[in-house]
Amino acid sequence: MSLIHVEHLSKHFKVLNRREGLSGAFRDLFSGNYRTVKAVEDISFDIEAGEIVGYIGPNGAGKSTTIKMMTGILKPTDGTLQVNGLVPYNNRIHQAQIMGVVFGQRSQLWWDLPVIESFKILKEIYKVDQATFDKHMNLFNELVGLKSLYSQQVRTLSLGQRMLCDITASFLHNPQIVFLDEPTIGLDISIKAKIRSVIKELNQIHNTTIILTTHDLGDVEALCRRIIIIDKGKILYDGDIKKVNALFGAYRTLKLQIDNFSESTLTDLRTDLAKHFDVDHGIVVAQTEEFWTDVTIDQAHTPLSDVLNFVMSGFPVSDVRIVEISMENVVQRVYDGALG
Amino acid sequence: MRSYFALMRGSYMIGLVYRFGFLFSIAGNIIYMSVTYFLWHSIYQGKATIHGLTFDQTYTYVALGSAVFILLKTYVDWQMSFDIREGMIAAYLIKPIDLQLYELFTSFGSFLMSLSAITIPTVLLLIIVFRIQIPLGLGLILFPFSLILAYLLGFCFDYFTGLLGFYTESIWGLSITKDIIVMVLSGALIPLQFFPTVIQKILLWLPFQAIYYTPLTMAAQPMLSWETFLSMLAVQIFWVITLFTLTRLFYNQAVKVLRISGG
Repeated sequence: MSLIHVEHLSKHFKVLNRREGLSGAFRDLFSGNYRTVKAVEDISFDIEAGEIVGYIGPNGAGKSTTIKMMTGILKPTDGTLQVNGLVPYNNRIHQAQIMGVVFGQRSQLWWDLPVIESFKILKEIYKVDQATFDKHMNLFNELVGLKSLYSQQVRTLSLGQRMLCDITASFLHNPQIVFLDEPTIGLDISIKAKIRSVIKELNQIHNTTIILTTHDLGDVEALCRRIIIIDKGKILYDGDIKKVNALFGAYRTLKLQIDNFSESTLTDLRTDLAKHFDVDHGIVVAQTEEFWTDVTIDQAHTPLSDVLNFVMSGFPVSDVRIVEISMENVVQRVYDGALG
Repeated sequence: MRSYFALMRGSYMIGLVYRFGFLFSIAGNIIYMSVTYFLWHSIYQGKATIHGLTFDQTYTYVALGSAVFILLKTYVDWQMSFDIREGMIAAYLIKPIDLQLYELFTSFGSFLMSLSAITIPTVLLLIIVFRIQIPLGLGLILFPFSLILAYLLGFCFDYFTGLLGFYTESIWGLSITKDIIVMVLSGALIPLQFFPTVIQKILLWLPFQAIYYTPLTMAAQPMLSWETFLSMLAVQIFWVITLFTLTRLFYNQAVKVLRISGG
């Protein structure tokens, strides 16, 4: 029996149709005009102990709703959901003991208290004994180096420090499953890297199952072997990351600002690139915003540096940015049948 | 239970973080109680008793009433409404704790905080400045117990209003309405003896009077018979058990409609 078993799971919400303007707001007071939003619609999957699964999708795809059902906060509308053999919604308090959750957008620590006090409160809530607590705190200190922050009030921490503290807190009671909801949102590259390595080590040390929802495809690449892509409440893909890697791992967009830009620059660039590289080079040139020309490159075929050198030598480029492919783009490619 | 005491300790500590807050609260309390003193002083001009209460009894009742009113404000309803709208409620529900007890112990921590840092200093100051003769007797000994029971009752009303937030998301209007109902019907504003007899009789059957009227009467008229006190405490205990059970049952219904926004 797998650790998490999801079968034909659905969650529908009734939402009031709100009207525009002040008069609309008044009329809404007496309105019974509801529509049903299918946040999650007939999804099925199984997750084994020790896996790190990337649960990804654009905004409003139904990721958080699924997690809230798995943690027992929300009651499913339909379908079967079992975590460790039990129905989370009916055993919320019992199940909470084996789960840890990090919400990237809000802290679970006590905002006005020093960091260490939050850990102490959580120690009591999860009934962690002193020896285990000390052992864990030492481990976290080795991994993260948080000791210097212990006496600081949580609200004075930087976003990155706070996130490290939140992750530490979620692993404090050695849970079997940890849900990480956007753990790297709004963080800079170096902190992101640190958070990823901490998550990876914690997964290995205790064989903790980790379910990661994120917008950052870098997180998924660095951590997950398996990904589940969800959009509009339905699962689009569930499987090995290698197959999907081609969708986003290899693509980069080179954003260029070219002096004296005109319509012909775009066509010139296209023909020049087509001449210099193979016809089947997989390079797409487009203009998505003013002043910026986007050159999307499939690194599996053409090295990014070659393209950059070529463009720099032939065009008056004044500024360059390199952008990873976005989640929306990946989902669009899946819809377009990129996974066959 | 240790986990809930840890929560209580935490919220007590949060109170200590904002030390300027309680200095202002003490100042505000003193101003309010001084105004009340002079108001009732002029009402009692030339009269020994009104509705059978002496000035000292009435003033003890009213002054303690406003001190207790501030003390019994749990803000649980406001906090819960905020947490529901911001989606923070999810952070509590993923922990192995009972929501009712979580809210109770967290608010009880701030209750102990404001009791020790605001109410006791204010009351001592008033006794010294206005030379209030707090009548001694059995009632004064029972007063702390009655106060804690009153706190639990006030909590139930606030928690109930907070749970309504699961349905309505914003509870601003509901909370104001609840405050006014509780304040008037509980005898927090004026002693129940000042109401017409018929209404007094009805009010004694409702749980509201057990919040303010009961503990305040114990403090203001401590020489009543011990049978009276015991039956007053019994009524309080009855309401605490009833309302705790009812709000627990209501939680089971309310949590089903919960929608958590954001994230």
